[in-house]
Amino acid sequence: MKRKGLMTIVLAACITMTSVFSGCSSKTADTSKDNGKITIKFLHRWPMEPNKSFLDKVVADYEKANPNIKIDMQSVANDSYKEKIKVILGTADAPDVFFSWSGEFMYKFVRENKLYDLTTALNQDGWKDTLMESQLKPFTLDNKTYGTPYSVDGKVFFYNTKIFKDNGLEVPKTWDEFIKVCDTLKSKGITPIAYGNQAPWASAHYIGTLNQKVVAEDVRTKDYNAATGEFTDSGYVEALKKYQQLIPYFNANSNAIKHDQARMNWANGKAAMIYCETQEVGEVQKLQGKDFQWGMFKFPDITDGKGDQSKLTGAPEGFVISANTKHPKEAIAFLKYLTGKEVGLKEVKEIGILNGMKGIYDTTNADAKVIEAANLINSAKDIVYWLDTDLNTKLVNVYLSETQLLTSGETTPEKMMQKIQQTAKVVKNETK
Amino acid sequence: MKERKIAPYVYIFPTLLLIIIFVYIPIIQNFYFSFFKMSSYSTVKTFVGFSNYKNIFADEIFYTAVINNTLYAVISLIFQVGIGLCLAMLLESRFVAPKLRTFFRSIYFMPSVISITVVALIFQFVYTPDIGILNGFLKAIGMGKYSHAWLGETKTAIFSIIAMSQWQYVGYIMMLFIVAIQKIPEDIYEAADIDGATGLQKALFITIPQVKEMTLVTSVITVIGAFKVFSEVYVMTSGGPGNSSQVLSTYLYRSAFINDEMGYASAIGVIIFIITITLSFIQIKISKSGQV
Repeated sequence: MKRKGLMTIVLAACITMTSVFSGCSSKTADTSKDNGKITIKFLHRWPMEPNKSFLDKVVADYEKANPNIKIDMQSVANDSYKEKIKVILGTADAPDVFFSWSGEFMYKFVRENKLYDLTTALNQDGWKDTLMESQLKPFTLDNKTYGTPYSVDGKVFFYNTKIFKDNGLEVPKTWDEFIKVCDTLKSKGITPIAYGNQAPWASAHYIGTLNQKVVAEDVRTKDYNAATGEFTDSGYVEALKKYQQLIPYFNANSNAIKHDQARMNWANGKAAMIYCETQEVGEVQKLQGKDFQWGMFKFPDITDGKGDQSKLTGAPEGFVISANTKHPKEAIAFLKYLTGKEVGLKEVKEIGILNGMKGIYDTTNADAKVIEAANLINSAKDIVYWLDTDLNTKLVNVYLSETQLLTSGETTPEKMMQKIQQTAKVVKNETK
Repeated sequence: MKERKIAPYVYIFPTLLLIIIFVYIPIIQNFYFSFFKMSSYSTVKTFVGFSNYKNIFADEIFYTAVINNTLYAVISLIFQVGIGLCLAMLLESRFVAPKLRTFFRSIYFMPSVISITVVALIFQFVYTPDIGILNGFLKAIGMGKYSHAWLGETKTAIFSIIAMSQWQYVGYIMMLFIVAIQKIPEDIYEAADIDGATGLQKALFITIPQVKEMTLVTSVITVIGAFKVFSEVYVMTSGGPGNSSQVLSTYLYRSAFINDEMGYASAIGVIIFIITITLSFIQIKISKSGQV
C-alpha cells in the first residue's frame, strides 16, 4: 500500500515537471554573442517581392563582407507590421535595426525612448552630407535624428498615355481641368480613375493631399499635431467635398476592391488613371503588357485652395535602431550600409526605388520611369507626410472608416468632420 | 485506504495547476488591467477607474459590435442547430440508403476541417463584385439585379460573413446530432410504430426530445462561438466597411493592437467574458428546468 502511494506521488511530480519544463526555452541566455560573432536582429516590412529577394541579397553580401556579423532577418507585411512592431518593442526581444515610416509613426516611439539617437553618428565622417536634407527631416524630432531613409516616395497620378492621346486629352494642371478630363472620359465610357479602398489607407492618400492643398498650411500643421489639433477649419469640409466630386469617376464598388487589384485593372487598360506612389513604378513595370504606354503627373493644383500647391504628398520610409540595442556600433554600421550608396545604386537599378542619398541616380543606372518619378519628387519644394502615419491613430481610424462611408454615400462631409472634431478633443486631452 | 482517496487528486493536480496559471490567473489579471490606461511599448500605467467602461458604453461602435454578435448568434442557432438537426434526422432516416450515409456525412462535414483563414480567402473571392462566382451565378440565372458588392457594402458585409460560417459549420453540428440520434434506443421507435405514429410524429415527439442534451451542447457551443468570433471577420473585412461588420473581438483587437489602448481592450475582454458566461448559464438553466 505504501509503495503504491509513493509511486503515485512520484508519477504526479513527473507529470507536473515535464509539462512545466516543456514550455520553457533557453531564451534567458544572451544568444547575441557566441563564437565571437555578433548577431543583429533585423525586421522589415517586405515578405513579398521584389523587396524580399533584394534585401535577402543585401544581407548576404553584408555578412560576406563582415564575417563577424550575423544578421537575423524577419519580415512582416504592411498592416500587420504596424500592429506587431508596437507589441515587439515592449518586449526584451526587440529587433536591433527595424523598419519605420517617418513622421508621427516614428515620433510616438521617440517619445517613449524606444529609438536610438543617431545625431552624433550622422555628424561623423560626413554621413549626414551624403543624404538629402528634405528626406532626413521626417526622421528628425526636436533636432535629433533617429532614422535614415531607405526609399523616398511621392504620390502622383499614373495615366495611360494612349487613352489620353486617343481622346485628345492633355495632362490637367488644375482641379477644374482635371474634372473636365474625367468628364470627357466618362462620357466615352472609359473609367476615369481606378480606385481600390477595401484596405482604407488608399483614401488616406487622397484626403491627405486634398487637406494639404485646401487648408492653409499653418492651420493644418497645428491641427495635425496631437496636442493642439481641432480640425474646425471649414477647409477640411471643403477637402472632403472635393473628394466627393471624384466619386462618380472612380470605378464601381471601390470599397470592395483592394489597391493592388485596382492597379492591375489600370495596367490592363480598364481605367485611365490611378493615384499611386512612385515606389510602385517597379511593380507596374512587372505587370504591364509590352505595349502599355504610361506617364505620371502631379496632383492638380486647386486654384482657390489656401494650402501650399507646390508640396508633394509622400514620406520617406527607412530604418531605425532600437534604443536598447546591445550592439549600437555594429547596428549603426549595418544601417549606414543599408541606406548608403552601394545598396542605393542597386536599389535604383534592380527594383526602381530611390533611397535618400544625394545624386544616387542618373541615366546609366535608372530606368526612364524612375528618373521621371525622381524628377517629380525633386521638383517639389517640400513633402507632406501620409495622413495615416502622420496623425494620432484614433483620428486615423475615424478618417479611414468614415471616408469609406463617404465613398458609398452613407455620410456627409459635415457629419464626418463633426466626428473628427470630437475625436480630436479626446486626443488633445490624452496628449500631455 | 487513505492512498486511494488521494491518488485521483494527485493526478488531477498538475493539469489543474496549469489551468490556473494559464487561464484563471490571466482572467483575473485582465480584470485588473481594465482599470488602467496602458500601452504595449510604454512602461507607464495610469489608474483610471471605471472610465474605460464608461467610454465603451458611450462608443457607438461597441453597440454595432454587440448587434453583429447577436445577429451571428441568432442566425447560427437557426441554421447550424436547426438545419443541422434536420439534416441529421434526414440522414438517419429511411429516406437515405445506409450505403450513401457515410458519403453524405463526409461531404457535409468536410468544410469544418478546412482552416478558417483558407475558407475566408476562398469566400472573399466568391464575394468579389465583378469576377466573383456569387454575382456571376446570380447573373447567369437572370437575377443579376440582386448582385451586390457583398463585402464592400455596409448592409451586406456582416451577413456575408455569417453566411460563410453557416456553410462551414452546419456539417459539424450535424455530426454531433447524428451521434446523439444513434444513441436513441430502437424500442421507442418500435413502440411508436405499434401505436401508428407517422414519420413526422416520430421526429417531433421522439427524436427531438431525446436529443435534448445534445441540443443544449450545440446551442451553447454556437452561441459562445458567435460571441467569440474573430478570424472570419478579421480576414474578410477587418470590421469594415466603415465599422459596419465589427464584432466584439475585432473591436478588442483594434483597441489593443492598432489604437494601442491595452486597458480599454482589457475592459472589452471583461465584457465579452461576462456576456458569454451569462448566456451559457442561462442556457444551462433553461434546459435543466424541463424533464428528461
